[in-house]
Parts: sequence; C-alpha cells; structure tokens
Amino acid sequence: MSANPSLPNNRTLPPKEYALFKRILKCYEHKLYKNGLKFAKQILGNGQFAEHAETLAMKGLILNALGRREEAYEYVRRGLRNDLKSHTCWHVYGLLQRSERKYDEAIKCYRNALKWDSANVQILRELSIVQVHTRDLVGYRDTRNTLFQLKPAHRASWIGLAMSYHLLKDYDMSFKILDAFSKTLTIRDSYDYEKSELLLYQSAILEESGDLQSAKKFLLDHERDIYDKYTFHESICRLYLNLGEYGRAEAGYRKLLSMNQEDGAYYEGLAKAMQIADDPAAKLQLYRNVERQYPRAYLPKRLPLDCAEGEEFLTYLRPYLAAALDKGTPSLFTDIKPMYQNPAKVIQIGNLVESMANSLRDYGKFSKDDEKVASASALLWTYYYLAQHYDYHRDTDTALAYIEKAIEHTPTLIELFMCKGRIYKHMGDMNTAAQWMDEARELDTADRFINSKSAKYQLRANRVEAAAAVCGKFTREGASPMENLNEMQCMWFQTECALAYQRLGQLGDALKKCHEVDRHFTEIIDDQYDFHSYCLRKMTLRSYMELLRLEDVLRAHPFYFKAARCAIEVYIHLYDHPLQNKSADEQISPVVEAVFSDISIIYVTYAFQADRRHFHF
Amino acid sequence: MVTIRTAKPQDLMNMQHCNLLCLPENYQMKYYFYHGLSWPQLSFVAEDSKKRIVGYVLAKMEEESEEVPHGHITSLAVQRSHRRLGIAQKLMDQASRAMIESFNTKYVSLHVRKSNRAALNLYTNTLKFKINEIEPKYYADGEDAYAMRRDLVEFSKLHDIAPAFAPSFFDCKGKGSGDDHHHHHNHD
Ligand SMILES: CC(C)(COP(=O)(O)OP(=O)(O)OC[C@H]1O[C@@H](n2cnc3c(N)ncnc32)[C@H](O)[C@@H]1OP(=O)(O)O)[C@@H](O)C(=O)NCCC(=O)NCCS
Repeated sequence: MSANPSLPNNRTLPPKEYALFKRILKCYEHKLYKNGLKFAKQILGNGQFAEHAETLAMKGLILNALGRREEAYEYVRRGLRNDLKSHTCWHVYGLLQRSERKYDEAIKCYRNALKWDSANVQILRELSIVQVHTRDLVGYRDTRNTLFQLKPAHRASWIGLAMSYHLLKDYDMSFKILDAFSKTLTIRDSYDYEKSELLLYQSAILEESGDLQSAKKFLLDHERDIYDKYTFHESICRLYLNLGEYGRAEAGYRKLLSMNQEDGAYYEGLAKAMQIADDPAAKLQLYRNVERQYPRAYLPKRLPLDCAEGEEFLTYLRPYLAAALDKGTPSLFTDIKPMYQNPAKVIQIGNLVESMANSLRDYGKFSKDDEKVASASALLWTYYYLAQHYDYHRDTDTALAYIEKAIEHTPTLIELFMCKGRIYKHMGDMNTAAQWMDEARELDTADRFINSKSAKYQLRANRVEAAAAVCGKFTREGASPMENLNEMQCMWFQTECALAYQRLGQLGDALKKCHEVDRHFTEIIDDQYDFHSYCLRKMTLRSYMELLRLEDVLRAHPFYFKAARCAIEVYIHLYDHPLQNKSADEQISPVVEAVFSDISIIYVTYAFQADRRHFHF
Repeated sequence: MVTIRTAKPQDLMNMQHCNLLCLPENYQMKYYFYHGLSWPQLSFVAEDSKKRIVGYVLAKMEEESEEVPHGHITSLAVQRSHRRLGIAQKLMDQASRAMIESFNTKYVSLHVRKSNRAALNLYTNTLKFKINEIEPKYYADGEDAYAMRRDLVEFSKLHDIAPAFAPSFFDCKGKGSGDDHHHHHNHD
C-alpha cells in the first residue's frame, strides 16, 4: 500500500545491488522482514556499500516493524546522515516518525523528501494523509492540488481535491470539482453503488452550503441512481421542510413511514409538514390514522402518551399499560419514566396501576368490569411496575414490599432480583445491592447482560477482584479478565474500577485505570488513519466526513468525561495532600507533580468541552 | 420509547458498549468503523428516549469470498431491559431491507451458538432463517455454530421492497447476482 517508501534515484548502486535494494522494498511491503534484512546485509556486507544511505534507512524501517525501535532510529538516522539529499531516506524517516504518531515531525520529513523529489506521488500522498489526519486543512488542500496536477486521470485525485475544499468550507469549489469529475465518468445504465454514494455526497455539499434549492433539484434529478433510500428520502424531506414545501414534505414522510414505522423523527417531521406540531389534538388524530394503517407498529401507540393530557391521557394510558402488563414487558417502567417529569401524569399513573393491582388480585382482571381475564402473570408484572414506581419516589419500604410480593408470586424471575438490587442501590446499601444482583446473575449464567450488571454492582461495592472474576466468565480463556477487557476497550468497566479504587484510596490504581481509558481514546482517534485513503476508494464520503467530525470532538463523549473527572479529582487530591508516608502508593508521588501541570490540564480542558454545566469541584 | 434508525458513525462507540454488555464476542472500535465506513446503510440501532443505544445490528457485505456477494450479520444484541419488544426483529428486517435496496443482496447469513435458544427462535421462527450447515467449534470456547441464511428475494416480495437492480436480483435463485458489484475504477 501507500505506506511503502519510494524507490531512490539510481545514483549510488550498481545494477546488481540496486536489484537487491528493490527486493528489500518488496520484502518490506509484504512483511517478509527477515528476508528484507538478509538482502540488506548482502548490500551492506560489501565494504564498498557498507554505508549506503538508503539501505541503512530501509534496514532501520524493517527493524522498526520488528519492534526494535532504538536500533531502527539509529540506522535510519545514520542513513540520513550519509545522504541528506536522498528523498528515500527522508521518506523513511517520515514513516518512522509517523509510526510513533509524531505527525509534525513526519510532515517535516516528507517536506524534506519533496525538496529532492518534488513530484513524488507516493510521498505526496503520505503527506496529504498526515495533513488531513492532523487537520492541517490548508496544507491538505495544497498537497491535493499538487497531486491533482500530477495525476489528473486518477479518480482519487478529483475526489481528494474536492474533499479538501469541502473541509475548508469552500462548497462552491468542492461541488464544481465533483461536477466536472462526474462528467468524465462513463454512464452506466445499471446499478452503481459508488456513484450513488458520490451523488449523495454532492447533494450534502449543496445542502451544507445553504443552497437548498439546488440541493433539492440535484437530488430529484438523480433519484434513479441513488440506492440509499433512507438517506435520499430523509434528505429530500428535510429540504422540503426547510423550503416550506409542506405538501411534498408530508408525502415524503409518509413514504418514510411506509419503510419504517419505528423512527420517532419521522413522526416529528410529519407533524411539522402538516403544521400541527403544536396542536396535540391534531397529532393524536394523526397517530390514530397511522395506527390504523400499520396496526403492528409500536410508536403510534406510544406517542399519544406524550401529548395527551388529563382524562384523555387516561384513555390512552389504560390500554397501553394493560397490554404491556398482560404480555409481561420488563422495559415498561423505563418506557413510561419520561412522563414522570409531569407531576399530574405521575399521580394518574400511580393511581391507575394501584387500582389495576387491586382488581387483578381480587378479580383476575385489570378492572372489575372488564370482560377479559388477564394473563396469569399480569399481577406479577404489575407488582414489579409498582416496585419501580415507588423506588423512583424513594419510598423504599413500599417498593420493597411490592418486590417481595412479586418474588413470592414468581421466585425465578431474574428481573425481580435485579429490581431488588436497584432499590438497595438507591438506598445507598451497595453491599446488599450487589448481593441481589449476583443472585439474579446466578439464575441465568449464560446471559452476559446480567453478568455485566452484577460486575458493575460489585464495583460499586468496591469489590474489584470479585467484579473481575464475574467478568472473567465471559472473557477469553487463558487471558486475565482485566487484560482482556482492556484489549476490548471495555470502558465502562475500567471507569467503574477507577472509581472504586478512588473510593478505596488506591489512588495509583485509580489513575492507572483512567489512563487506560485515555489511551483508548487516543487509539480511537488514531483509528482514522487508514480510513483517509480507504474511504476515497470506497466512495463512502459522507460517512467519512462524519467520521472526521466525530473524531474532532471524540473526547466530548460521556465515557471520557467520567474517567477524566475521576483522574482530575485524584490529581487534585494528590496535589492538596502530597503523599507523606513511604507506603504502597509511593511510586506515584514523584509522578504526580510532574503530570499535574501537564496531563490534568488536558483532562480539565477536555472535560470542560465535554460538559460545561456539570463540571464543578 | 424506542426509535429504530440507521446507525451513524457517532453511534458506533455506543454500539460497542452495548455489545460489550450483551455478548462475549467483542471487537475493537476500528472494526466498527470498518463496518460503518464500508457499508453505511447496513447497520441499525435502537435508541431510547434518553438517546441511549439499547440494541443494534452490525452488518456487512461479504465481498471477498468466492461465493456470490451476500449480506452478513456480524453482531446483533438487545439489552435485557428491552427484550421481547420486537426490537431485534425490526433491526434485522431493516438491515435486510437495506441490503436489498443498496446492494442487491439475495441472501443474508449469520452464525449463532447452538445453545442460544432465544436467538435461534428469533432467526428460525420469526425471521425464517434456515440452517445451512453446522460449523464445529466455531466459537472461541469450543461451542458449535449454526450457519444460517435468510432468502431476501422472498423477503423483498413479501414486503414489496424494490432491489437495486431487478434483472439480476430476480434471475434464477442464488446465481449471478454478484456480477454487477465488482466494477473497478482507476484508483489511488
Ligand atoms: C436474541 C436477542 C437479540 C433477541 O432480542 P429481542 O429484541 O428480545 O427479540 P424480539 O423481541 O425481536 O423477538 C422476536 C421473537 O423472537 C423470539 N424470541 C426472542 N427472545 C426469545 C426468548 N428469550 N425465548 C424464546 N423466543 C424468543 C420470539 O419468537 C419473539 O417473538 P415474541 O416476543 O412475540 O414471542 C436478545 O435476546 C439478545 O440480545 N440476546 C443476547 C445477545 C445474543 O444472543 N445475540 C444473538 C447472537 S447471534
């Protein structure tokens, strides 16, 4: 691939050695490192070429691939010293730096290399990738321009150039380049996925530029050739809405609903298109119509609960709850919980479920006057709901009473023990909570979800070893659970570990876990690297753009915030209370002063970015 | 309240989280990126009202193998708190639809543990997958897998889904659908 060094000028080696040198490059490319070293030795072994710059550099690069970093640097630098005018040596030096994520250094090396071979496409490509990776967007554009001039027949030259302008928000230029490019393509009658992706990318550029009319026209003109139906319809609907073409928007959202009835955004869009977003009665009517059309859909049944009020709310709530309790739906409470923001609704819900519990107990029906007899487990699920309802209000005694009734009814239902654990957690009794969660786990040892919950509760109870042992039942055999979870980037576990260590006063261990999480983020940011060229080939340009935008704010993710906050607290604590006794934590004390000014400032910055409102010491 | 929609790159980290909670087969982020950036249409998420990902299907095209290009489910999971609501079924149906519309896919394959009763029930009874073969010791812990397949031509007729390229999609079963996928441009 493109990460291979380019051929040197045939300046210093006679044909035989030059052939050997070319074989070194091949070996490197195919990861045949041993052979590569062997050929290098054949050249360097000949006294005449013992100091041959490019061979020394290549030897270094291969050693680096073998993990022999220090020697690698030695050889590459020696090679370079022997010929400062060799673009190959500079290129290799750049690759070496890049492999260590020293991107600024790598850019300098590539620039030096280009001084001696300004039209080297391979090096220019490398340079452009590092530039976009580090968001040197102006530099990226310039390099893509040069590449374009050198290789105007390559598809990637056009696309890369257009993207570089797009990144600089020069929408006009970007679109024009793609437009000119698509005119060079031969027209195919049949299915062409890549073209479809390109068209969607072009329309996204138009839309971003604010020229909604053109974006709309472009999409409509190319509808036939677009195979991503969701993106097409979602984009065109959004455009219609923003252009005030409500009738067309409405038809579009109805089309989307016919494809998927379970996306809440489509109902919102439809209400806007019908200009009834602020009219609850009209929205209820809409939901009823949609429900009639798609009787098996779930959202048209659930959405009315959000907009109906008072008596009308009850007329929707009753059948909704009855159906869910009758079937036995563990998620019912989570589903209803958003409505607990509304005090009037909470009272209505509480009263209704209480009355259902009473009727079920006395008559086996949700209401005394019902014709239909409820399922045998309806009462159980109703008790379960009430336990969560009272737990929400922190009325622990009532909550526990209900969960006990439920357990008495069915002693084998895992959800009940999970709920009991959660009630104890809310009481602040983490030990008992963890005990019940583990009870739940033992009822289904094949389910990793309950296993994870149990481990989390163990950590909340500061039992790190026990938690690791629980997780170990699902991690790879032969590896320690902690290591395996780290390898799999299991951040929730590592963060909970850090917090447990923090509570236990094992500050060094806490910091270690926080830094593991930080390293995952560094790695995930680095994951972009290969996609810079991959997506140009695959044509998945919209997703690639989204990736770049995501990576730009990656550390705003809540996972990072939580770990960073823990790390900051620990560092501040250590700063305010420098470690006195030379105890087990001794090893971290010298570190603290040094990192405090450095790392924690970074954490603070990121954490503030992540969430300004919730950040307080 | 749960919404089902296409997965965006921003969802991939939360999908990884959901996967780590629910399944023993885990992947590093880069593998999620690989899915999201190669076949952005194929993966779907179920999101609750607090924007938490409570279920996902991670899907891809199998383009490298000698067989006809076909869809493949890399991973499917729904958090225990949201099971038995039909979420897995809806996620799978959406992924199947997208495979037909965007990639002209005639069938989708997957692997499932022999002992996974819930998933087997879902695949066999609800989604009409058929067992294609048994792969002994497929999983790291030595368990066998069923390799299963779902016929998407049938599915498309049932749900009136238009394929990307009808002539090759509807021509005689199992053959020829792939010819149109591999056309090469002059690339980087
Ligand atoms: C398998 C799994 C994805 C199912 O998710 P789900 O959203 O609960 O499934 P659905 O509600 O869509 O189920 C649809 C149908 O599948 C069948 N099914 C699902 N779970 C079942 C279970 N535990 N037992 C028996 N049948 C089950 C039922 O027929 C169900 O229809 P019904 O509820 O009307 O009876 C979920 O249990 C899970 O995430 N498990 C852990 C991860 C896993 O095993 N993934 C699959 C790896 S291949």
